[in-house]
Amino acid sequence: MVFLQNLVQIIYYVMAGLIALSLVKSFFKRKKNDNWVYDIMYAYCIIPFLLRVLHIK
Amino acid sequence: MANTVKSSPSKRLISKIIILVVVLVIGAIAAAQFWQLRHFKEEVVVSDALTDVKWFSDYVPSLKGTWLDTPVFFFDSGVEGGTVFINGGPHPYEPASTMAAYLMMENIEVTKGKVIICPRSNYSGSTEGMLGDAYPMYFHVESEWGTSKFRIGDRYTHPLDQWPDPFVYVNYPSGQSQAYQDIRNLNRTYPGREDGTPTERAAYAVLEIIRQENVDLAIDMHEAEILYPVTSTYVAPATVLDREHFEETGEMVYVEPERNSLDVAMMAGMNLSGQFLMKSEASPSSLHGLSHREWADWSDAMTILMETPEIFIDKITGPRTEALMTEGKDEFLQKVTDAGLTYFPYDMEFGTPMWYRTGRHLTGALETLTWASMFYPDIAVEATWPTFLEMQELENQGIDSVGYFLKNPDDPANADNVYVIYKEPVGENMLKWSE
Repeated sequence: MVFLQNLVQIIYYVMAGLIALSLVKSFFKRKKNDNWVYDIMYAYCIIPFLLRVLHIK
Repeated sequence: MANTVKSSPSKRLISKIIILVVVLVIGAIAAAQFWQLRHFKEEVVVSDALTDVKWFSDYVPSLKGTWLDTPVFFFDSGVEGGTVFINGGPHPYEPASTMAAYLMMENIEVTKGKVIICPRSNYSGSTEGMLGDAYPMYFHVESEWGTSKFRIGDRYTHPLDQWPDPFVYVNYPSGQSQAYQDIRNLNRTYPGREDGTPTERAAYAVLEIIRQENVDLAIDMHEAEILYPVTSTYVAPATVLDREHFEETGEMVYVEPERNSLDVAMMAGMNLSGQFLMKSEASPSSLHGLSHREWADWSDAMTILMETPEIFIDKITGPRTEALMTEGKDEFLQKVTDAGLTYFPYDMEFGTPMWYRTGRHLTGALETLTWASMFYPDIAVEATWPTFLEMQELENQGIDSVGYFLKNPDDPANADNVYVIYKEPVGENMLKWSE
C-alpha cells in the first residue's frame, strides 16, 4: 500500500513536470496563438509549478 | 486577406522576457505571503501548571521533522483522578477551537487529575489558506498590552505535505468510501495508521495519546456552518465498536459502552441552556473516520465533539473579511435565517463573534468535565480556565475578552513560560511515507 502510494506520487510528479516543461516550451516557441496576450497566459500558468518546485505553495 | 506585421525574433524574445519578469515579480509577491503564512510563529504563555510537553512524533516517530508533528501540553495536578484530552485545531479554519485551547493553556489550574491539550492537531493545515477562496490569512486579537496575530488556516492538510489526492478516499479500517479530499482531513482519517499517509499518521498519533496516556474523556473542538445541522452541538457515541469481535471476525458490531459519553453530553447541554444553545446528537455508527466515532471505538475513552456556529465558513456569505471571522455579521445569512433555513437562531445584530465561540468551547469543555466527574467519580478531573460568563461580563464592559485572557509573550515576567507553536521541519516530507 505504502509502495503504491509512493509510486502514484512519483507518477504524478513526473506528469506535473512534463506539463510544466511543455508550458515553458510553449511560452518561448509555439506554432499557434503567437500573440503577446498568450505570452502572459503561459507565463501566468507557469507560476503554480514554480511555487510548487520551490516548496512554497 | 489581412496583412500582419511580424516583429523581429529578437524583439519577440525581449517582450517575452519582459512579460516573464513581470509575472515572476507578481508571483514573488504572492510567494512571500505564502511563505510567511507557512512559517508564521504563534506564541503562547503557558500556565505554571504545565508539567510536560510532548510531540506527535513521540507517539509516531515517523512524524518527526514533518509539518504534521505538533506539540501536546500536559497539566498534571499530581492528585489521583481522571485524564482528559482536549483537541484543538483539527480543522484549522475553525479557529475558535485553537483559540479556546490557547486560553486554556494560558490560564489553566488543575487540582485533580490530568489535562492534556493539543492546540493545533493538524499543524500542516494551519499553514495554508483555503484553496480557491479569497480570505484573510490571519485574524487579530486586541489586548491591553498590544495586538496578537493568529493564523486562520485551511480545513485540510497542506498539499505540500500530502499530495496527490486519490479519486476516492477509503477510510481505514472501515473500508468506507468518502470524498477524495478527505484523505487530508484529520477528522475523517481516524483511527489512522502508523504507516499510512501523513494525515493518517497524525490521526494515529492522537489515538496513541488517548491509549498510552489512559485518557478517560477526550474532547474534540470544532466549528460548523449554521447551514449545517450539526452546529452548536455536542456529538457523542451511544454505542461503541466491539473491538474483540471485530478482531476475531472482521465484523463491526456495536455495543453499549462502559461509560456513556452521550449521557454526559446531554446533561452538559441541558445545563448550558441558560447560557447558550447546545444540542446533543448521537454519533452514527455508520459514519467513519470522525473523532466522536473512532476515538471511542479504538480506545477506552469517552469522546465528545463540540461544534460552535462559525458563519465565516458558510458558503453564502458576503465578502470573507477578517471582520466576518471575528464578528460574524452577515446580511445574507440573516435573510436565510429569517426564512427558517439555518440550524442556529442567528441574529446579525449580535453575530457570532470570536469571544462567543471561544467562550462556548471553554465552558462547553468545563461542563463535560463536571458531568463526567458526577457520573463517574473515579475519573474526576478538576480544572479551571476562563468561562463563557466571565467573557460575556467583560464584553458587556466593552473589553475584548479573548485579549483580556491572553498574556503578553514579550513581558520579561512571562519569558520562562513562552512556547512557540512551531518547529522547523526538516527537508521534504512527502517521500518520507515509507520511512
